[in-house]
Amino acid sequence: MSKHDEARRAFLVGAAVVGAGAATGAGLVPDALAQQQPAATNTAATGHDHAAASGSGYGAALNVDESATIKAFAERLMPGAPGKPGATDANVLNYIDLALAGAYSDQLDFYRRGIAQLDAYCQATFKESFAKLPTARQDEVITALEQGKATGFTYPTPQAFFNTLRTHTIEGMFADPVYGGNKDFAGWRLVGFPGAHPAFTPADMASKEAFAGGVLIGLQGQAPTRRT
Amino acid sequence: MATEKTDVVIVGAGAVGGVLAAELGKAGMKVIALERGPRLRTEDFAPQDELRYFQRQDLRPDPKRQPVTWRPNTGARATLIQSLSYGNQAGGGTVHYGSVSWRFHEDDFRVRSQTIERYGAAAIPEDSSVIDWPVSYTELEPYYDRAEYDLGVSGKAGNLQGKKIEGGNVFEAPRKRDYPNPALHMDQVGVNFEAAAKKLGYHPFSTPRAIVSQPYNGRPACSYCGFCQGFGCHVGAKSSILVTKLVDADKTGNFKLITGAMCYRVNTDNSGRATGVSYYGPDGSSDNTIEADLVVVAPFIYDAVRLLLLSKTDRFPNGLANSSGHLGRHIMSHLGTRGFAAFDDRHINVYMGPSAQKHTIDDFNADNFDHKDLGFIRGAQISAGPAGLEGGPIASAMNMPPPPGVPRWGAGYRDFFSKYYTRYLALTGQTENLPYADQVIDLDPNVRDAWGMPAPRMTYDWRRPNEVKRVQFINNKLLEIGRATGAAHVWTAPTGPGAPGSHHQGGVRMGHNPRDSVVNKYGQTWDIPNLFVMGSANFPTSAGFNPTLTIQALSYMTADAIVNKYKKNPGKLI
Repeated sequence: MSKHDEARRAFLVGAAVVGAGAATGAGLVPDALAQQQPAATNTAATGHDHAAASGSGYGAALNVDESATIKAFAERLMPGAPGKPGATDANVLNYIDLALAGAYSDQLDFYRRGIAQLDAYCQATFKESFAKLPTARQDEVITALEQGKATGFTYPTPQAFFNTLRTHTIEGMFADPVYGGNKDFAGWRLVGFPGAHPAFTPADMASKEAFAGGVLIGLQGQAPTRRT
Repeated sequence: MATEKTDVVIVGAGAVGGVLAAELGKAGMKVIALERGPRLRTEDFAPQDELRYFQRQDLRPDPKRQPVTWRPNTGARATLIQSLSYGNQAGGGTVHYGSVSWRFHEDDFRVRSQTIERYGAAAIPEDSSVIDWPVSYTELEPYYDRAEYDLGVSGKAGNLQGKKIEGGNVFEAPRKRDYPNPALHMDQVGVNFEAAAKKLGYHPFSTPRAIVSQPYNGRPACSYCGFCQGFGCHVGAKSSILVTKLVDADKTGNFKLITGAMCYRVNTDNSGRATGVSYYGPDGSSDNTIEADLVVVAPFIYDAVRLLLLSKTDRFPNGLANSSGHLGRHIMSHLGTRGFAAFDDRHINVYMGPSAQKHTIDDFNADNFDHKDLGFIRGAQISAGPAGLEGGPIASAMNMPPPPGVPRWGAGYRDFFSKYYTRYLALTGQTENLPYADQVIDLDPNVRDAWGMPAPRMTYDWRRPNEVKRVQFINNKLLEIGRATGAAHVWTAPTGPGAPGSHHQGGVRMGHNPRDSVVNKYGQTWDIPNLFVMGSANFPTSAGFNPTLTIQALSYMTADAIVNKYKKNPGKLI
C-alpha cells in the first residue's frame, strides 16, 4: 500500500490524524488512484476502515459526527452482506463528502440541518443519536422519514432528506470511482455493470447471458479483476 | 460597444440554427449565430461518465444559473424545475439527445380535421386548442428526406410509396425512398420486445435514429457503447448538429459562431422592423449588438418565448410578434409513462447499444387505432429501452421504482436491483398531449437567472380528462406487452404530479392566419416579416413522436424559402 493510500485512508478514518491528511492534501483526492491497486489490497483496506471507524470519520465537508451519521444512514439504504458490497464497502461517505465540498457545496446546509433534525428526532424518540442506534431502530427511523412521519422537521422535510440521501447513496454506489465512491468498482460488481466500454459487438448484444466480454472499465483505467 | 453587421443573425446554434447557418451560408448570406454555451468536439466526449452527463446533466442547462419554474395552475406557487431536458451548447439538444428521428404521420398535421372527420367535433375536448398545421406531410416529405440523408438517419422503411414493408413502421406515411442507412443492430431489448409485440399481433420495428449504422459522410459507424441519451457521442456516429451542419456551415466561409453569448433582446425600430439582437458576452458585458437584415430566434421554447416577451417596446407592448395574444400559449409536453419487465431466466444487458427508445410499436399512436368509445383522442409511441433512456446503473436505479412489495432501500432493494439490473427492460409510452390555451409560458415575477433576467415560468398540468384516460389506456398496453415477454415481474411506475415531461412544444405556434397563431409555416412572424422564430415552439400539436427530425425538416423548408423567395424579395412569405 502506498503512503498516499495510507494518508487518504487515515484522513477518512479518524480525527486524530486529520492533520496529517490535511497536510498532504490527500483527503481532497478521490479514490481514483486506489482502483489501480490489486483488489485484495483494497479489500484489506476496506476492512481496516470498518474496524477503525466506529462511526467516526472526517473529510472535506462533514465533521466527525456528521460523517458517522451519513455513513450509518447510507449503509442502511444499501447494506453490505457477504458477497454483496454495500455503501460502506463502496465508500459512499467519501463520495458524499467530496461532493459536498465540490459539486454539491450548495447542499451542505441542507445536509447539516437534515442531520441535526434527524438526531434531534432520534434523541426525542430513542434517547440516542442516529449513528448509535441499533440497525433495526435505524431502519424504523428511515421508514418514518420516507413516509413523512418523523416529527420536528422543518427544513429539509423528512422526505426531502430521505430522497436526497437515497439519490446520493445511489450515486456513490454507481458513479465512477473517480468521484470517491464505488470503491474498487464495488457498486458495479454488485449489479454486473461492466463500466464504460467503448464498444459492444453484435455477438455481445445477441447473448442472453451475463456479459463476460472484458474487464471493468473506469475513467482512469481498467480494474485488475472482473466481477466474480 | 461591440457592434457587428451581418445578413442574418441566429439566436441558438441547435437543430434549427445549424441547418439554417449551413443552408443560408451556402447561398452566400453572411450568418452569425449566438450560442450561450461552448462549442465542444467529439474528443471532449471520451469520458463516458454517467454521473457527469446523465445525473448531473453536464450538457444541459444548469437550473441554478438558468432557472425555469413550473406551477400546475395560476393559484399555485411556482417551483424550480430541477432537470432541464434541452441543450446548452453548440449543436443544442442534438448533442445529448437519444437521436430518435421520426417523420410525423399524415394525420399528425391535421389533428382537428382528422378527429372531426372520424369521430365528430364532440370528440375534441372543449377546452383544447387543437388546430391543424398550416403545412401537410406531403409538402414536408422532401424536407424529411433531405434531413434524413443530409444528417444521416438509420432505419428501415415501412411504407415505400404506399407499399407496406414488414419490419419497418407500417403505420408511417409514404416515403419516396428508404433510409440512407440500414437499421441499427438489435440488442436483447429489441429481441424480447419484438417477440412479445408480434405475439400480440402488433407491428414492432427498430426505432429510426440519427445514429449512423455504417460509415457515413466521413463519420464512423455506431460502436454500440450505449452512452447516447445524455451523452455526446465519443466516436461522432450520432448525427448531431455539432458534427453535421455546423461543420457544413464552417465550410461555407460565411459563418461565424459566437459562444458564451446570451441574447437578451431582439431590437426593433420605429417602423416595426427587427434590426438585430443584443447579448451578454461571456464576461457579463451587456453592450454587444449584432445588426442584421434578418433575425432568427431559435433557442428552446422557454427562451424563445421569454426573449420575445423581454423585447417588448411601445410599439409592441405585449412582446414582439404578439398581436394575436397567442405568444406563450398552447404549451405541450410528452409524458413518458413507464412499465418494466424483469426476467429470471435471461439477461437483457440493457446498457448495450444505442440507448433511447430502442424498439417501437406505432399501433397505438396518432389515429392509428380506433378511438371510438375510448374517451380520448390521439395516442402514444410505445417503445422499449432502459429506464431513464440510458442504460447505466444510476439512471436505472433513479428511474425504475421497484415492483409493488419491494422496498426502495435496504437489503430488499439491494437484492432486487443487483439481481435485475442486467435482467430488465423498460417500456415507455410517449403520449401526445393536446394543446390547451391556458398552458402557458410567461415571465416569473420572483425568480431571475444568472444574467438577471426573469426566469421563464410554465403553468401546466397534463392531468386533463382526455390525457388521463390516454395514460390509463397506454399503461394497460405496457402491462400487456410486458406480460407477453414472459417476464417474471411486470409493473408500471406511478404517473406522479402534473409536471411537464420532455420534448416541450408550442408557445410560438404556427397557423393559417395571424389571428390564431404567432408565425406562418416558415416560422416567419406575422407581425415582423424579418423576424423568424423557429423550433418545436412552432408546433400546433405535439404528435406522439420525438420532435427533432420535424424541427429539422421545417428548417430545411424555411431555408429554401429564404434563399429562393425572401432573399430576392424580403417581405411576407405568405
